[in-house]
Amino acid sequence: MPRKIDQSTLDEVGIEVDGDLSDSDDGGAQKRPNRRQAGGRGAARGRGRGKKPASEDEDEDEEDEDDAPRRRRGANNKKPTKKRGGGDDEDESEDDAPKRKRGGAANKKRGGKAQDSDDEDSGNEKGKKGRKGGGKKGGKEEEDSKGKKGDAKGKDKGKDKDDDKDKDKKKKKKKGDSSSDSNSNSDEEEESMSEGEMAQLMEEVEEKKKLIAIIRNKPWRMKRRLVLLREAQQFVDKFEGALGKGKGRKWYAYKVMMTKKWIKFQRDFENFRTACIPWERKIKEVESHFGSSVASYFIFLRWMYGMNLVLFGFTFGLVVIPEVLMGLPYGSIPRKTVPRPEQPTAQDYSVLMDFNGYCKYSVLFYGYYNDQRTIGLLKFRLPLSYLMVGIGTFGYSLMVVIRTMAKNADVGGGDGEEGEFTFAWKMFTSWDYLIGNAETADNKYASITTSFKESIVDEQENQKDENIHLRRFLRVLANFLITCSLGGSGYLIYFVVKRSQEFATRDDLSWYEKNELEIIMSLLGLVCPPLFETIAELEDYHPRIALKWQLGRIFALFLGNLYTFLFALFDEVNTKLLEEEGIKNASIWALKEYYANYSMMMNDSEATPPPMDPSDVIRGPCWETAVGIEFVKLTVSDIQVTYLTILIGDFARAVIVRFLNYCWCWDLEAGFPSYGEFDISGNVLGLVFNQGMIWMGAFFAPGLVGINVLRLLSSMYYQCWAVMATNVPHERVFKASKSNNFYMGLLLLILFLSLLPVVYTIMTLPPSFDCGPFSGKTKMFDVIMETIDLDLPAFMGTLFSYAANPGLIIPAVLLMVLAIYYLNSVSEAYQNSNMELKKKMQMARDEEKNRRNNTDSTNQVMKDLEDLLPNRSLAPPAPPEPEKKPEPEAKPTKTKPGAAGKGVNLQKDVALATPNPNARGPVRQPPGPRGPGPGPGPGQGRGRGRGPPPR
Amino acid sequence: MGSRASTLLREEEIEEIKKETGFSHSQITRLYSRFTSLDKGENGTLSREDFQRIPELAINPLGDRIINAFFPEGEDQVNFRGFMRTLAHFRPIEDNEKNKNASTNEPLNSRTNKLLFAFRLYDLDRDDKISRDELLQVLRMMVGVNISDEQLGSIADRTIQEADTNGDNSISFNEFIKVLEKVDVEQKMSIRFLH
Repeated sequence: MPRKIDQSTLDEVGIEVDGDLSDSDDGGAQKRPNRRQAGGRGAARGRGRGKKPASEDEDEDEEDEDDAPRRRRGANNKKPTKKRGGGDDEDESEDDAPKRKRGGAANKKRGGKAQDSDDEDSGNEKGKKGRKGGGKKGGKEEEDSKGKKGDAKGKDKGKDKDDDKDKDKKKKKKKGDSSSDSNSNSDEEEESMSEGEMAQLMEEVEEKKKLIAIIRNKPWRMKRRLVLLREAQQFVDKFEGALGKGKGRKWYAYKVMMTKKWIKFQRDFENFRTACIPWERKIKEVESHFGSSVASYFIFLRWMYGMNLVLFGFTFGLVVIPEVLMGLPYGSIPRKTVPRPEQPTAQDYSVLMDFNGYCKYSVLFYGYYNDQRTIGLLKFRLPLSYLMVGIGTFGYSLMVVIRTMAKNADVGGGDGEEGEFTFAWKMFTSWDYLIGNAETADNKYASITTSFKESIVDEQENQKDENIHLRRFLRVLANFLITCSLGGSGYLIYFVVKRSQEFATRDDLSWYEKNELEIIMSLLGLVCPPLFETIAELEDYHPRIALKWQLGRIFALFLGNLYTFLFALFDEVNTKLLEEEGIKNASIWALKEYYANYSMMMNDSEATPPPMDPSDVIRGPCWETAVGIEFVKLTVSDIQVTYLTILIGDFARAVIVRFLNYCWCWDLEAGFPSYGEFDISGNVLGLVFNQGMIWMGAFFAPGLVGINVLRLLSSMYYQCWAVMATNVPHERVFKASKSNNFYMGLLLLILFLSLLPVVYTIMTLPPSFDCGPFSGKTKMFDVIMETIDLDLPAFMGTLFSYAANPGLIIPAVLLMVLAIYYLNSVSEAYQNSNMELKKKMQMARDEEKNRRNNTDSTNQVMKDLEDLLPNRSLAPPAPPEPEKKPEPEAKPTKTKPGAAGKGVNLQKDVALATPNPNARGPVRQPPGPRGPGPGPGPGQGRGRGRGPPPR
Repeated sequence: MGSRASTLLREEEIEEIKKETGFSHSQITRLYSRFTSLDKGENGTLSREDFQRIPELAINPLGDRIINAFFPEGEDQVNFRGFMRTLAHFRPIEDNEKNKNASTNEPLNSRTNKLLFAFRLYDLDRDDKISRDELLQVLRMMVGVNISDEQLGSIADRTIQEADTNGDNSISFNEFIKVLEKVDVEQKMSIRFLH
């Protein structure tokens, strides 16, 4: 493409020369000046070009000939004309002709010229000399020939004199035409070169050249002259090439080509980047059918996947892989071996599914890791790395979540422009006219429909203004009910947990008593969300806000879940710790005995480990692994439950509804079971809580992150499929807020909650004595102290001890609090000013609209007056007009004066509109509803429509 | 293909088209070969069926309207001149043309003319007003049966209400321009024809 353009520009120049030359050969010299004067730059050129036979043009276009032959031709053509006599040769277009000729005839000169154009000063001087010489030779014009120097760059000979004179004249003429408007947009012109553009550019180059020529005589200061000179010179250098002459041509062609290539590359790269966003297509497809609210879940899921992938990279790269590659192999030491009593069943499927047996003594869990300070040739400090990754997981997650929230908040503020012509824009601009694929078109249909639906819901929300007191009362009531049920379930959980602790000490338990806790919990989880949803109907929020409330409430409920789980877990840990204490003492005692005996017998103080198979060694319960197993089990069962729910709750239901519908008493699709809707709140919360489990469990089971990555990956495909195959869009498709910040907020909360227990265990609980990377230490974080002591220079140790001093920490905390306070108030101030500005903009817009409307309406009134003058009195139609106008403005701000309180605004405005337009309105409106098919719909529909929306 | 066009297309014709539409010579020849390839009847004119064979138009809900825009009122054939005249609406506006607009009469690819073209797509009965019924028809083309009639009605009402400034319950061309004031029509309604 760029090439082509370039060639065409070259061609055009050449063509024009040819055309004009042929003219001059014909002796039609007088015609040309006229033409020049009459037509503008482009037109003249076009016509000149058109003159010459088309076939020639075609040839040149297609042959891609380089300019050399043409130049030769030009030179050949030129020579005769020159010979014919310098005096009457009035060739205007030929500023390039002399050069060309010279290019053909005298190549040596050319080299000199090129140099000149490079170097401004010397060029000027030379030009001057040349001019002087020329002047002497020709003995003609002194002033006029100044112009020529720019063009000819001081190389002109006497025979060119006449040309130059004419040239100058022409230039002046042209300058008069174009200089006024041509300077402004000179710089952006390099992109595409049409003929008109070419001509304009050429003139500008001419001008600049002239400027260069006469700049000496300008009564300016030297500085200004230099600046101007440099600018002009640069411009000439830059654009002369476009005109197919000067040494810049090739360079220019190259540059243009590269610019275009670069732009194309950028565009391709952008496309490529979009194509690289994983699942973008899938999500867009879902969005087009189910609206942005459902898509927001999938976007959230994708985000989670990305984050977990990074966590996975950390954990596996820094902990698991080094251990596998460089650590001791399986079976070498007790903690890496399945104990002998468990060995017969260690490979059973059921055992493995419980993550016992070989699973338990694998790299997936905490207990497998050795407490060797460094492993392998690289002296990899595995225990330190383990701790750092454990803490880094939280650090990274916190950072990412907060960063994303901040970024999302940024996005949220951007769309202040919306809301003026929402429907009109959707109506007139939504179709993408480049769609050529039937499937894409289907998606586009769906997405247009969805977006209309979303807008309808938003509008309905804006126009709701019924009994505000009733609404408030209902909302308070709903919140009260929900608080009650939350409190009730909280107490129930507390009660059941207490009972289960009681039960834990007894043996004679019925099945129910054993599983009471789980049953109650799942019952609550089953009953409460729908209950909340039902109660939320009372509140009649916009679905988007309702979703947030729903999420918050279920979240609160699930916190109870979390609480019981943690409670049970810490119970277990405590018992394990006690048990471990006993075993530890016993084994230490045994070892001591052994060593005592050993040294007594062998008389050797060197400690040789007892000759025991690693699987026979007595070992402690290793509570960390137990906790890890607990979390992994929970995660896996969660995955199973989620997937089964989708399979049964959505897929089976859809299949039944779809196929049993043929032989059923009532319409299954429209009636009771119907198809499932996608449960946004449930899915989001499931994801959030699952992530909480991962964060808590990752420290005790490094493999958990891997499992989670697999889960998210599969769930992306599975749920995308499920939602497209089995679900129907929500009854009220609503537009999700652009930022997923509410989800993120929940995630942050759960992150914080899961941070607490983990940090607590790291800081306070003693690690198991015989398993895991921290065995043998009194606290897990001792590994850091050890590293500081052993690996870092001594002064670092003292530095750290100073840093750990409360006297330093307390001021630091204070400082941070102050910083937070400061930043917070600054952001508030910004927010305020933002709101202020928004308000101002809105006001300005309204004002403008008002003004416009008023003028319009007055015009309209005048028109109406004229129309009506013969017919009726003017009074009635005129007044309502201006009064009506302010109504639409008032609506966006939601403050409805609304005397007719219950009317949906739509109808109100339409109803208001009808009486006003004197003749046409009333006539047209009624037939609308009645006449065409759809008509009755809207008419009744709006009446009916008022019922549903407040729902 | 250029040579073929040049044999079929007389020089004067090209000149006139060039003057009228602002296309360059090579663009015209290129478009002419496209024209002839669309012309299955080989009779130098295009019929509606010829246009409907273009997939982009076939699946476009407004495809019929766009095709209609090619045909002068009451005719069902369009020759190359008419074809080019319609296409000229989509020629990008070049920088230097902006300056010229003031002096010469408005070229086909000016913002106003582009908007007028779009306006005509919606103005089914060519009375220079988009009425509620016309909006409804277009809406039905665009969203099909997925939205109930009552909602479609309210969408149309809303659209008119948003755009209508003089209270005649329909959208005039001036109102249409105002609605799309902020839309970059010059860019969106431009096709980069090959040079």
